[in-house]
Amino acid sequence: MKNSKNKILVVGSGRLGASIAGKLSTNGNDVVIIDKNSNSFRKLSDEFGGYDVVGDATDLYVLEAEALIKDINEVIITTDSDNVNLFIAHICFYIYNVPHIYVRLNDIDKGILIEDTSIKPIYPFSLSFDDYMQKRSERDEK
Amino acid sequence: MKIVIANGRHEADFMIKKFKQDNHKLVVINSDLEFGKYISSSNHIPVLNGDTTKSYTLEDAGIHDADVLISLSSDDIENYVTCVTAKKIFNVKRTVSVVRNPKRVDLFKQLGIDSVICSTYLLGESIKYETLVESITKTLSLENDKIVITEIQIDQEFSIANKIIKNIDFPPRINISCIFRDPDVIIPNGNSEIKPGDKLIIVSTPDEQENITEFIKNKADNNEE
Repeated sequence: MKNSKNKILVVGSGRLGASIAGKLSTNGNDVVIIDKNSNSFRKLSDEFGGYDVVGDATDLYVLEAEALIKDINEVIITTDSDNVNLFIAHICFYIYNVPHIYVRLNDIDKGILIEDTSIKPIYPFSLSFDDYMQKRSERDEK
Repeated sequence: MKIVIANGRHEADFMIKKFKQDNHKLVVINSDLEFGKYISSSNHIPVLNGDTTKSYTLEDAGIHDADVLISLSSDDIENYVTCVTAKKIFNVKRTVSVVRNPKRVDLFKQLGIDSVICSTYLLGESIKYETLVESITKTLSLENDKIVITEIQIDQEFSIANKIIKNIDFPPRINISCIFRDPDVIIPNGNSEIKPGDKLIIVSTPDEQENITEFIKNKADNNEE
């Protein structure tokens, strides 16, 4: 029996991961968040109603048995290491065929490694760059 | 061959010495500045210092179209990203990664790394094989050790597997009394075929036993006719 609710996995409970998990959870999604360190879950808001899993998301056993990766249809990967993020994104795509994968990459050069997949990159660099350019052009308009 | 050695410590040093002897073209990159200097001076070879998971490092090192890249970092995921980058961006033909975590051997292969080496995994496999070899031979002695009965299970790698008994050049004084092929028991003659998985029951003197088991366990490649 398939639950109609969107099942989402957030990897890494830093500021970004915890905020995304909190938001998606209050919007009524089934959210699982995983982090190596249980202290990281303190960043989760009180409204978060999903599951938190302490574990290593590069371990297939943890992904399958605890994060229930096979039922997940969206994953957001936000650990502080690009290499780890890339590795987990590849696992989600090539091994588990997760339909929607988002990965944070600080180094835009690494984007080429997900080029021929459906994995979507999130680049803090591009966001900051665009934000600066936007604000700068607003200043000039005044 | 053009060989890239990425990271690693004494194992990198060892490989560089070996490959250099064989006159391969070597590209060496190490993220540890001090150790890189050591490798460089002890092998009289340039060593680039840098992060091998960054494509500009690999670009600077000139790894394009290398025949093989060997990634020896103690960080498994660093090795993974190095290999994937080398393959995808720099057209390296073959990537080899070491891993610390034995559970990642199969995973890395599934994700496209050509060879994955894990010392713990190899140790496990070798122990498994050792115990297999032990269990292959069971012995029963009769008449105060004047007769021994040996039971050997035929592995498909053995040279006598899939052969007709009369075509096998057995050592003298061997007597295959019985072949146990689940669920059948076969009393063999010259035309019987020996199949992988068969258990041979062999009667011999204790002196012959070692020769016979050695002959039967002989692997296919060194005993072709």
